[in-house]
Amino acid sequence: MNFALSDDHRMLRDSARAFLDEEVNLQPLLKRGATVEQVDYLGMWGKIAELGWPSLIVPEAYQGLGMSCLDLAMILQEMGRALLPCPISGALAGVWSILKGGSEAQKERLLPMAVTGDLKLALAVCDADGTCDGPASDARATADGDDWRLNGSKAFVVDAAAADMIVVAAENGGRRGLYLVDATAAGVEIELLRWRDTTRQLCNVRFANASAELIAADDAEIWPWIKDRLLLVLSAENAGGLQKVLEMSTEYAKQRMAFGRPIGANQAIKHGLAETFGLVECSNAAVLYAAWMLSEAQPSASLAATMAKAYTSDAYRKATHQNIQVFGAIGFTWEMTNHLYFKRARANAEMLGGTAELRSHVIDLLMREAA
Amino acid sequence: MDFDLPKDDDPRRLDVRAWFERHPNPTGRELFAAGYVVPHWPRPWGLDADTELQLIIDDEIKRAGLPAPSSVNPVAINNCAQSLLTHGTPEQQARFLPPALSYEEGWCMLFSEPSGGSDLGGLRTSAQREGDHYVVRGQKIWTSNAHTSKIGVLVARTDPTASKHAGLSQFLIDMDAPGVTVRPIQDMTGAAHEYNEVFLDDVRVPADRLLGKEGEGWRLSNLQLQTERAALSKPGAVWGQGPSARDLVKALIQTGHIDDPGVRDEAAQLYIEGELLRLLAYRALTDRMNATPSGPEAAVRKMLAAPHGQRLLDLAKRVQGQGGLVEGEEIFPLPNESRHLFDNWDYAFWFSPAVTLGVGTQEILKNVLGERLLGLPRDVDPTAKGPWIDTQRPELKPAN
Repeated sequence: MNFALSDDHRMLRDSARAFLDEEVNLQPLLKRGATVEQVDYLGMWGKIAELGWPSLIVPEAYQGLGMSCLDLAMILQEMGRALLPCPISGALAGVWSILKGGSEAQKERLLPMAVTGDLKLALAVCDADGTCDGPASDARATADGDDWRLNGSKAFVVDAAAADMIVVAAENGGRRGLYLVDATAAGVEIELLRWRDTTRQLCNVRFANASAELIAADDAEIWPWIKDRLLLVLSAENAGGLQKVLEMSTEYAKQRMAFGRPIGANQAIKHGLAETFGLVECSNAAVLYAAWMLSEAQPSASLAATMAKAYTSDAYRKATHQNIQVFGAIGFTWEMTNHLYFKRARANAEMLGGTAELRSHVIDLLMREAA
Repeated sequence: MDFDLPKDDDPRRLDVRAWFERHPNPTGRELFAAGYVVPHWPRPWGLDADTELQLIIDDEIKRAGLPAPSSVNPVAINNCAQSLLTHGTPEQQARFLPPALSYEEGWCMLFSEPSGGSDLGGLRTSAQREGDHYVVRGQKIWTSNAHTSKIGVLVARTDPTASKHAGLSQFLIDMDAPGVTVRPIQDMTGAAHEYNEVFLDDVRVPADRLLGKEGEGWRLSNLQLQTERAALSKPGAVWGQGPSARDLVKALIQTGHIDDPGVRDEAAQLYIEGELLRLLAYRALTDRMNATPSGPEAAVRKMLAAPHGQRLLDLAKRVQGQGGLVEGEEIFPLPNESRHLFDNWDYAFWFSPAVTLGVGTQEILKNVLGERLLGLPRDVDPTAKGPWIDTQRPELKPAN
């Protein structure tokens, strides 16, 4: 038992932070109408591929680094802190889908390309009503000889526009399965959403008899495994961003003068920031615990990931709003980064289930344990 | 990073369990001799225990149906006795530690005064050196266990001409000495003696009862409050001694209240928070094991744990409806475990307003945190500089 970060983990985190401090510049986004294209969304992918980030979670058998969720969490927190605009979230989701659902041959063919960055993946799992757990799906798969055809649509797909291939959760005969489509194939139409969080690309994807490859005919055992990891990704981003907005607020409160003294001398502000410090401590604990549980394949890993996403989402929302309040009216303008964090927090909180839904699931899990 | 807790068949656990099987009803002296009262202390007092062994011993004490040592003689074990290791003379260690750690002499803290608890540094009780004695005059308040304690840890002003914090010193006084009068305070739960007033009228304290040096009282008191905050930030309500969020969720499932969507959502929030507080408490233990100094972080945990406990008791009370307002009726289930005073939801609830007041009000903790951990500008204390005695002259008293 040791609840402190190892030196290796600290090094991983510090080197990621140093890289992102150097490379990420959100300035071009601070103009109305700017998109991730203006902050080198795809160029950044090449840079992180060089660092090997897409290969972290891929086992060594497929030329990856074979690192754990705990290792990954170190980097995810830093990505959240920097609001890194880069299609890594979609890529991770796609890799996990292949890893858990794919055949040996598919893993051997696809994962080494994902490792080098030559293959960008995405996962289309949500439907238009925001649900993502199946077995129903707005997309349907039908057999076409040895091939498969997809029809229908998926919604809120992270990084679909940047992806070379998309893993699609589609329904066939009452079961939901995972299918792989070429993003540029005939019958695949990708529409960019005017997503409020402009540091990320979300899309709707429509299928009109699009040719697809079967990954797994039934994702009932596969999706929960993937989902827990995606909850960790969002939680880690939340915790990293939360830490950053507390630093921003604190720094500003020390420098901004009013009535002859820094505004941070006022207890109304000081106490609010002290409370946020508490949220940061708890969020970090939640993320590390969930990451460790997933790394060790502990039976309560799902509970830990669900708790982490629910807790950090609320905390991040609260802190990003406070961050605007501390800055005053300037924090309400498009030219400041405050709103980027605020919007990321709001978006992350709704993805893969809002906090009320996740908390209800926590109770379900506890009742199942108690029974 | 490794969150695995010591397993049930851990050989060290089996050793401890075997000891409790051989000693089903151990006396305090036996527990102390085995090193189980303060396992994390150095020998001969403790076992130099690492975090895992501490957790094992905590678990096994609970399993044996015995109260946690920290709840039997809390002031000695949680706060003050440790100061004797660093600041006590060998004679003081030999005189005070064995009876304190064997539960034979209870301790209490004579810190707060009627004129102010948060502004502890401004206290007025004086200790004047007269030959080989100090003569103590003043009044203390909010003293837990004063009536059952043999020893009082007193902070008093030995030098009124020094600045408010520099003029304080600490003493170990006999609570049965002439001039010490204890009067119970009836608190809002209806209990008397949970807190007391203590009057000190010309109490003669031998000079060898001074702890550390004159003028070290402020520093010692702060260290003791920090260790107390660390000890009191366990995940259960009421300073970690009452029911926890795990107990709450169990009870809500058992009674069916969990089916109410509002209750369900609140219960989940509390459960999550409780688990995170548990992790923070373990991390604090790890920090101690890794020799990371304990600092104002304890204030963070207490800032979180105190209102968390209040909220969970509040929900437990609300689901009982009008039935929860009838004194003496406990209608909410609680696992049968030794929880000292707080082994029922009802008393814990009515007591709960105290937890954001005691050992640093919530507001003071947030100041400490904002100033010492975030580096925000300090609040100005116009009485902090210059001789303390000058701040007592009415014309110089700062406006409230």
